[in-house]
Amino acid sequence: MKRFLHGSIFKAVAIFGLLMSLCACTTTEIDEFRQGETGIADHESIVILGRRQNNNYETEGSFVQCVANVVSSGSRPINVVGEQEFLDAMFPFFEPRTAPMRTGHLRELMDIDVAKSKMDEYGIEYIVWLDGITQRSEQAGSISCTIGPGGGGCFGFGTWQDDSNFEAEIWDMDTLETAGSISTDANGQSYMPALVVPIPLIARVEANACSGLGNQLKQFINGS
Amino acid sequence: MQETKLQQHIPGIIKAASCFALVLLLSACAASTINISGSYPSPLVRKIPITVGVYYPEELRNFSFIEIDDYTGKDQYIINSGESQIELFNTVLPALFENVVMLEAPEAALSDSSIDAVFVPAIEEFQLGLPQKTKLKVYEIWMKYNMRLSNPDGEYIADWVMTAYGKAPNENFQSVDSGVKDAAVVAMRDLAASFTLGFSGIPEVNDWLRDNNHLP
Repeated sequence: MKRFLHGSIFKAVAIFGLLMSLCACTTTEIDEFRQGETGIADHESIVILGRRQNNNYETEGSFVQCVANVVSSGSRPINVVGEQEFLDAMFPFFEPRTAPMRTGHLRELMDIDVAKSKMDEYGIEYIVWLDGITQRSEQAGSISCTIGPGGGGCFGFGTWQDDSNFEAEIWDMDTLETAGSISTDANGQSYMPALVVPIPLIARVEANACSGLGNQLKQFINGS
Repeated sequence: MQETKLQQHIPGIIKAASCFALVLLLSACAASTINISGSYPSPLVRKIPITVGVYYPEELRNFSFIEIDDYTGKDQYIINSGESQIELFNTVLPALFENVVMLEAPEAALSDSSIDAVFVPAIEEFQLGLPQKTKLKVYEIWMKYNMRLSNPDGEYIADWVMTAYGKAPNENFQSVDSGVKDAAVVAMRDLAASFTLGFSGIPEVNDWLRDNNHLP
């Protein structure tokens, strides 16, 4: 009986370990390109904005918020002004149609006294533009579920791949030039086996892209 | 005795169930009504030192757009945006002009000598792009406006067309209602942004402001 129990527990642990290893198959690659010196004081802030000019997608607000949370927490956190708060305060200068696309446009914007004074009021030292999307591909398999008087259940297998590509461009508000850029490419395969109950083994692709990009951005702005 | 009471209740239960089924059936066929609402920030611009009389036509106040279902030919969504349009102009105009006077009719400007010009916005077209139809991962709204600026006596100053575009990502488990509302708010902000930054740049408006020393 004891041997049987030990065998069952070992099997369960092995299956759980296998599922966890399948669940964790996400790869993240981060590239940094630095064009100038950076650094930020405690009283200064940054703002992280999503690019929304592309025709068939737009950078999701939830991803922008996720990166902002990573940058503003942990060791050496940076003050981050909320995206919506900044967009409302600077309205109408950072709307999709009117937002500066290059640092040349930013210099023109900073020549407008009301815009410059509002930016100074917030103590914005860097503007970070996030642009990217998570795409799903290679979807395969099928799961069918049935329900009857005696009960119900699902059987089948589904799999798909998620690919997150994001780029952060950092503008220095002192020099009104680009300080650098960071890009992240994360991808991972998710699985959904169903034996009576579907077991989702989701690759946390966007979450990994967010934490990788956020931590790299924090280091970049802190200058180390 | 109890069985008799139950028998008495059966026709009532059947009636109630029939009514419930009928209501369900009707609600499945009815068009969904989406009321656009949102608050808009006051634009960060220098005020133009003029007093503008503003008249909102009835069509703008009660503007609603009906999206037709391609398969059934019936109304699929009714989008009411009139209230939100008025809220937008009520936020933008006082930020752009030194004084704003609301008018019951454009002719009412003649009785107020402080009014420099009369502004009348009108909506001409409204288009909706749903992800299930466009196959894009965004909800889209496109609007076309006609803006008219005239002297208090009705004499033409400027008449120009403006377009506004807004999109919102189609997120997981998001309702159509929420996607359309988000896209509409973006479109209205787009209108407010281009109107605020572009008003003085309209050639006829610029000439009129210059001729009357109204440039800020």
